[in-house]
Amino acid sequence: MQRFTPARRLFSEFKCSLRRQRRCFSQVAPNVIDNNDGFVPKMPSFDYSPPPYTGPSADEILSKRKEYLSPAMFTLYSKPLNIVDGRMQYLFDDKGRRYLDAFGGIATVCCGHCHPDVVEAIVNQTKRLQHSTILYLNHAIADFAEALANKLPGNLKVVFFTNSGTEANELAMMIARLYTGCHDIISVRNAYHGNASGTMGATAQSIWKFNVIQSGVHHAVNPDPYRGVFGSDGEKYARDVEDLIQFGTSGNIAGFVSEAIQGVGGIIELAPGYLPAVYSTIKKAGGLCIADEVQAGFARTGSHFWGFENHGVVPDIVTMAKGIGNGIPLGAVVTTPEIAAVLTRRSYFNTFGGNPVCTAAGLAVLKVIEKEKLQENALVVGTYLKERLTALKDKYELIGDVRGRGLMLGVELVSDQKLKTPAKLETLHIMDQMKEMGVLVGKGGFYGNVFRITPPLCFTKEDADFLVDAMDHIIARI
Amino acid sequence: MAMLQRRILKSTLEEAKARFNFNWYPILSPCASFSTLPSSSTTATAHDHVPPHLPPFDYQPKPYNGPSADEILAKRKRFLGPSLFYYYQKPLNIVEGKMQYLYDESGRRYLDAFAGIVTVSCGHCHPEILNAIVEQSKLLQHATTIYLHHAIADFAEALASKMPGNLKVVYFVNSGSEANELAMLMARLYTGSLGMISLRNAYHGGSSSTIGLTALNTWKYPIPEGEIHHVMNPDPFRGVFGSDATRYAKEVQDHIEYGTSGKVAGFIAETIQGVGGAVELAPGYLKQVYDIVRKAGGVCIADEVQTGFGRTGSHYWGFETQGVIPDIVTMAKGIGNGLPLGAVVTTPEIASVMAQKIQFNTFGGNPVCSAGGLAVLRVIDKEKRQAHCADVGSHLIGRLRSLQDKHDIIGDVRGRGLMVGIELVTDRKEKTPAKAETAILFEKMRELGVLVGKGGLHGNVFRIKPPMCFSKDDADFLVDALDYAMSKL
Repeated sequence: MQRFTPARRLFSEFKCSLRRQRRCFSQVAPNVIDNNDGFVPKMPSFDYSPPPYTGPSADEILSKRKEYLSPAMFTLYSKPLNIVDGRMQYLFDDKGRRYLDAFGGIATVCCGHCHPDVVEAIVNQTKRLQHSTILYLNHAIADFAEALANKLPGNLKVVFFTNSGTEANELAMMIARLYTGCHDIISVRNAYHGNASGTMGATAQSIWKFNVIQSGVHHAVNPDPYRGVFGSDGEKYARDVEDLIQFGTSGNIAGFVSEAIQGVGGIIELAPGYLPAVYSTIKKAGGLCIADEVQAGFARTGSHFWGFENHGVVPDIVTMAKGIGNGIPLGAVVTTPEIAAVLTRRSYFNTFGGNPVCTAAGLAVLKVIEKEKLQENALVVGTYLKERLTALKDKYELIGDVRGRGLMLGVELVSDQKLKTPAKLETLHIMDQMKEMGVLVGKGGFYGNVFRITPPLCFTKEDADFLVDAMDHIIARI
Repeated sequence: MAMLQRRILKSTLEEAKARFNFNWYPILSPCASFSTLPSSSTTATAHDHVPPHLPPFDYQPKPYNGPSADEILAKRKRFLGPSLFYYYQKPLNIVEGKMQYLYDESGRRYLDAFAGIVTVSCGHCHPEILNAIVEQSKLLQHATTIYLHHAIADFAEALASKMPGNLKVVYFVNSGSEANELAMLMARLYTGSLGMISLRNAYHGGSSSTIGLTALNTWKYPIPEGEIHHVMNPDPFRGVFGSDATRYAKEVQDHIEYGTSGKVAGFIAETIQGVGGAVELAPGYLKQVYDIVRKAGGVCIADEVQTGFGRTGSHYWGFETQGVIPDIVTMAKGIGNGLPLGAVVTTPEIASVMAQKIQFNTFGGNPVCSAGGLAVLRVIDKEKRQAHCADVGSHLIGRLRSLQDKHDIIGDVRGRGLMVGIELVTDRKEKTPAKAETAILFEKMRELGVLVGKGGLHGNVFRIKPPMCFSKDDADFLVDALDYAMSKL
């Protein structure tokens, strides 16, 4: 049973605002009394001990990274975490301490870290044949392509394998441009689609866009129910796309690309009614509709297998990566035979794409999702988690919005509910504290004030409780 | 087993016979068994009448119970699209690999002289690399660089230590295309200029931007490429200036002076063009061009996707054979022995411009690929693969040159170490590409048990780039098979 104290107002000046309050928390697991007051939430139990770690320390790694890796490479947390082992929805650091992985390696580990079925498939195939290219036949790519195509509606049944989401989106954009003979593509502000030249153009947040030529992309007003000017009126936002086409292009375009739920952008669900209206506009302009399912795909939204299904549309091209292989480097583009035929005009080839090991892993992932009913779990646990987070929102003014579907959830923090002023510092602080308590979440949104919760889909209700209780415990102490 | 193999071979050859219309009968002699018999002696005349034997190999592939070649082909046509091409009239179902050999669905062994397109550098399922991959897969496949992990740091350090000069900042990506995309981005950001220069006949990738750098029409879709120019290829065999590097280099100078603002972003080249047909750049070319490009404010990018990791034998990196130090080096393929992995190495100075914004690669540098990559570097050093490539490579090239004396169809034999090309022509003076003959010989080699690659704009170049554990016996077998096949043309 939960008991709530009255909502607390937070001071705008974070530094002088630390206050302690007595509060009672509900638990599923037994409590541990902390040093100061109240109960500290405890992680659900888990029957696994990682092997002892004897490798380099965090400091040694950090200094090597500084010397040999990109100067711009960042880590989360003031004291970066040295993650050495993973099992299902948990990660372990170099001291053997267990953490609840609520980020999933950025919505990538969908079945669970080192899921035995997936590891077995990888190991067995690696021992037989790692690589030979599609110049020769191999059953793994064919079996996986068939299984994947069977998961898609309509005539979406030709698969191209790549090695990443960026490669998949690049290929999708090129296919759209070739198929239509047009160059203009429309994407949505706040989107993330990749970091190569074409995809950097489609990506629409300045922090990810370098000062290089990114031609032929127009960015539409973001149908953001929380911050957008039209609230949840999807059709009003869709009119912007019409305007872009009528005024900014020749009237005919190559296509439109969007995520069903923006991931990097802070788990923003496109306003209802938006995609159907936009898809109709795009088709009238002769363009193709591309659904970027890199994060929302593979059962994560719970209610459907694919994110776009939540909007009641059928795209012309679907791109995927991340969860497709539970972490193995793999991406895919699925389209119709008619559209796929454009690539026969010249030769398109991807050396690593569709290799036996990655496709064997991909097939194992599809089987695990089905066998373990992960989509249903994402729906049940995700709904439960969202409810608890929404209750937390009612409790704390710091939480401006709770959104998302299934196990793709976002919690946006604001220092003023009316003005929706992003609470950046608080977000960083809470994220750090969550890690101290044993919960790893992600961060996103243009202002960096949104918690991204995209765990492995084997996440349980107990895990959800632990996450929310930890967050509750920490926010109460701000 | 041998009976089944002969039956398969016979039906294939009947088909080929009908198609190509010449006499195959000598191949079906009773001693032409394709099991692991010791190789016979290799005199030139003997192999005019008796097909050569694969060197012995002490390994039994697992029995294969999966779908047949026909079933797979049908699924490919349905679910992988019409643009997914394949080798051979009757495509080969490769189910297993071990070191420099591959096995088809019937358990027949082939000499892999192409290494999955220069990718399987140490050998299929090399035990040390396999072990590294398996062990890491059991611990942690993926978490991304937002957390620390030692594998990426150790691998970056080891890779950087193989580089000359100040090349020591490593970016991990998932393919050669991604690596070259990133290199182009770096060049443009660092110089503030747009113009890129690449060589005609080059291959740098299949993504929409790297298609711009690639300069072979078969691979170029009609899309906007941006500011990219392709200069004359310093091709000693077909180039108009032969091996005169200075004349080719002047082309670059002229392009900059007449075709640009006088400043460029960068120049990119493979030292030995891969897809283009194992074309080695005329000696001295890169030194001159690097000077010219740098004077125009540009950076020099070396595409080591195929030539890197000791393959050339004489040096670890292809660019070292031309005595230069690039500003950016890109690599993929052999870096992971087949793992989806690529890398870009550059100087801290150039890397610093990338810090203006966030650039992140979700899979890049993941623990499994990094562990595999590190194992590859160790194997190459421990097993002295570079020296081995020099040794076996020179033996192979020597034998191929003798073959060239014997068969007029061989227009050119070129390359270094285990990156070798054999160009076939119907007329040595005109250098007319022998496309049809190459196609026939390509099939014949497969029948004899040798899998080679094909390249060049006209598809008339055999590319011999095997796993670097390829032996002298393998080389002899390959040459003997080629000799035998050519004698039957």
